[in-house]
Amino acid sequence: MNLIVSNLKGAAMSGSSKSDTVLDIKDLRIEFHGKSETVVAVPALSFSVKAGESYGLVGESGCGKSTTAMAIMGYLGNTGVIAGGSILFEGKELIGASAKELRAIRGRQIAMVYQDPMSALNPVKTIGSQLAEVPLLHLGASRKDAMEMAAAMLGDVRLPDAGDMLKRYPHQLSGGQQQRVVIAMALLARPSLLLLDEPTTGLDVTVEAAVIDLIGELRRRYSTSLLFISHNLGLIAETCDRVGIMYSGEMVEEGTTGDLFRKPRHPYTQGLIDCIPDITHDKRSRSLAAIPGHIPLPQERPTGCFFAPRCAGFTAGLCDRPDLELEDIGANHMVRCVRWRDMRRSQPAQLTQIGKAQAQTEAVAVSDLTKLYRLSGDKTLKANESVSFSAAKAEIVALVGESGCGKSTLARIVTGLDRATSGEVRIAGENIAEIQAKDRPRHLLQSVQMIFQNPDSTLNPSHSAAFSIRRSIKKFGIRKGKVAIEERVRELLEMVRLSPTIANRKPNQLSGGQKQRIAIARAFAADPSLIVADEPVSALDVSVQAAIVTLLLDIQREKQSTMLFISHDLALVRHVADKVVVMYLGKVMEQGTVEEVFGGGTHPYTEALISAIRSPNPDEKPRDRVHLTGDTPSPINVPAGCRFATRCHRKVGAVCDSVPPPLRKMSDTHDIACHIEAAGLSARPSPFGAFVQGRV
Amino acid sequence: MATLDIPDAVQVARTKRQARPDWMRIFYSRTALVGLFLVTFWVATALLAPILPLPSPTDSDAMAMGNPYPSAAHWLGTDILGRDILSRLIFGARTVLSVAPLSVAVAMIVGITMGMPAGYYGGWIDTVISRFSDIILAFPVLVIYVILIANIGPSVMNIVIATTIASAPGIGRITRGLVLGLKEQEYIAAARLRAENTLYIMLVELLPNCRSMLIVDACLRIGYTIITIGILGFLGLGLPPPNPDWGGMVKESVTVLNVWPLMSLIPSAALVSLVLGFNLLADGMREAWKP
Repeated sequence: MNLIVSNLKGAAMSGSSKSDTVLDIKDLRIEFHGKSETVVAVPALSFSVKAGESYGLVGESGCGKSTTAMAIMGYLGNTGVIAGGSILFEGKELIGASAKELRAIRGRQIAMVYQDPMSALNPVKTIGSQLAEVPLLHLGASRKDAMEMAAAMLGDVRLPDAGDMLKRYPHQLSGGQQQRVVIAMALLARPSLLLLDEPTTGLDVTVEAAVIDLIGELRRRYSTSLLFISHNLGLIAETCDRVGIMYSGEMVEEGTTGDLFRKPRHPYTQGLIDCIPDITHDKRSRSLAAIPGHIPLPQERPTGCFFAPRCAGFTAGLCDRPDLELEDIGANHMVRCVRWRDMRRSQPAQLTQIGKAQAQTEAVAVSDLTKLYRLSGDKTLKANESVSFSAAKAEIVALVGESGCGKSTLARIVTGLDRATSGEVRIAGENIAEIQAKDRPRHLLQSVQMIFQNPDSTLNPSHSAAFSIRRSIKKFGIRKGKVAIEERVRELLEMVRLSPTIANRKPNQLSGGQKQRIAIARAFAADPSLIVADEPVSALDVSVQAAIVTLLLDIQREKQSTMLFISHDLALVRHVADKVVVMYLGKVMEQGTVEEVFGGGTHPYTEALISAIRSPNPDEKPRDRVHLTGDTPSPINVPAGCRFATRCHRKVGAVCDSVPPPLRKMSDTHDIACHIEAAGLSARPSPFGAFVQGRV
Repeated sequence: MATLDIPDAVQVARTKRQARPDWMRIFYSRTALVGLFLVTFWVATALLAPILPLPSPTDSDAMAMGNPYPSAAHWLGTDILGRDILSRLIFGARTVLSVAPLSVAVAMIVGITMGMPAGYYGGWIDTVISRFSDIILAFPVLVIYVILIANIGPSVMNIVIATTIASAPGIGRITRGLVLGLKEQEYIAAARLRAENTLYIMLVELLPNCRSMLIVDACLRIGYTIITIGILGFLGLGLPPPNPDWGGMVKESVTVLNVWPLMSLIPSAALVSLVLGFNLLADGMREAWKP
């Protein structure tokens, strides 16, 4: 837990002088009535948010957390029905309240910030007129006063030159700015409860860090109660006083933030904490513990404990009793687990000894790679500019950066889905940078295969799961003859730990994790020497992520294939990679081994990225937060000197804006492109202090 | 992690729930069911026409000419030439239900062949195909029909050609739009990375995913084509007499509309019910297959 949280706690104390419960939900039951079936999204949920408190609701997709928020706002749509229970807001019952009463409360006393700011803002109205609507409607302000309040609030959410901002339209703002506007809109009526539904999920990490800081600060100023919904444990640990963990529509554990993260009792909570990669450990010091299986669909819930099918501690006769209750175990800590006393954190899996990649046959060498997209007029978009790095055989090189940094373009060039403007990509001595997939000879295609990001579009919905695996084996002639091909398909499915019965299912009958496993099997079906993995787990739930990452690492090690691992998640990269390349706006800012990049003495941008990572570990030493100002510039109009100069917190001077930075050789393997002298760079200590030993 | 991904109990539940194929979902839609009923009714009567105990659709009954009202011999009466309306109606359904789907099928093949490459390749190929379609779409459809059929004479073949020219550009446009979205999907990139040729990607990877939208569109187009065939018949450009043809039946009797309204109203009602059937079926399918 760090400083900001303790500040928030202070605010909670001072705010609780009213000592009232703002929101009190009891036995809430939410159903969705479809044409052919009724789905119980939330069977019976109870929790409360006190005045001035920040309550975090955590869970993976499909656990009912957003549905709950929508039920509080009364927006369940045509099919959603509140079938029972009560939602008391400041003592008033919201269920069954008339539309008029609800209108007076919504927006005025309860406000909501949604996940996607672009769809929360009206694209044809200016920011100013949208913001002014709130005081006009809810506070009865005059138009002039309303505009003044809007301008003042924009200043509060730290949007630069508020006057000009009022006249702009939503599409003229970046994602981070849009989300600030939405927050400003929510706070304008001074609501007593603010619902935040994954407010930063679509944002880049450095922008997310700034928005989270802002929410904490505004909360202290306005003493608003927060209901913070997220799947990100780190964010919740930082912003919330109390936390509720939801699983399949039920609250499985609830407690104060420190207590719950220090002593999680429910096996699901324990699993959630153990499965996320943390930035202080790499694959040699900690293995990720995955939770097997996936969240049951509402109609597949078992009797008794919903987590039972995935739980190692399942005991027949105890866990399948239908009368399971949330049990108070003291210190405001509640657990829905009959065996909570026996639930020990699973012992960390035996660490597989991972040797450093043996030196060093070079498998891939990218040198001076540049990719320009000509846009209309004389504008060009520089997706990549003189990118150089190399990977040895069986090495995992991670490409890290925020959206628009060119990492995915690079992946497309290496695989041949796109063509480089200039430069080289050498695989086994052949330059493939300018040969597209359709022109590549078969052996080259076979040697480079890709794992894609989106499990929902990686498999053709019209064909069976094994279809593309089979096709790949046939096309590259890995096996000949029907029987041999089927045999190989079975082997590959076993390799990704799927049952062979899955082979003939259609993708819509598979879970996200299963689809991604099939995609991995397909990539390895060609026996490639280089795997390009473009954000392979970013679309998956955290508990599934760990399983897929572990699997991918196991297979990669066994097959000795080289891997380009593309990700925006630094904690994950730390866990996966041997070597890291940090990119920003198409240029390499820093590259080196994992130890070097995550150790002391890094590029200012890397420093900012690392400092933006939140950890749910309450005992971790507080880290200095680097506050970046502004947003990433457009890649069409890049800064002339150092690309990062517009946001850099360690800017040397005018030289940063005009001259491209020189390459500082920190060691044989560690390069940093920065105007700061090598000595000045290495003077910065490691962001983690001493290496944290032991488990989270 | 050493275990399989899903516990057995869950696996069984999933399979059971998903066992029904997707297209079966149309049986949950009331709209689709009503449409399906109307269409099936007409298809069944058309198929059974030769074995039903009907008077000949082309022979005049001189006795009935003076008194064309419904009777035991002629359930729906006769037309001005003394031909049995019920029989002409049912044999007319045979005409319309063979010509309309045939024309739409041909138009589909032509349209998909145009739309696939336009969407997949983009660039100048797209420009040429799309502009060409735009030119054809800019012509009033009925004028195209009248010009074509007036010049080359009425026959089934000519109706098919005319319909194809009028609807292929629209089908091409739908296909192009679908392909434009689908080609960015990751499974297409995966296919390119395993050296699949373009024709394979179009036919095996893309076309099956356009299926549901194209079936819905085909269904609507069959409805429109039935109307068009009716209009052509009414204008005297349909099938050459004495073939039974709904549009032709209305035309022949429209002069006596004030005296014997049933003669033109009955074939009009038949036309409406069949077209409505196809439209409802299309709407129902769209609703049921909506992702």
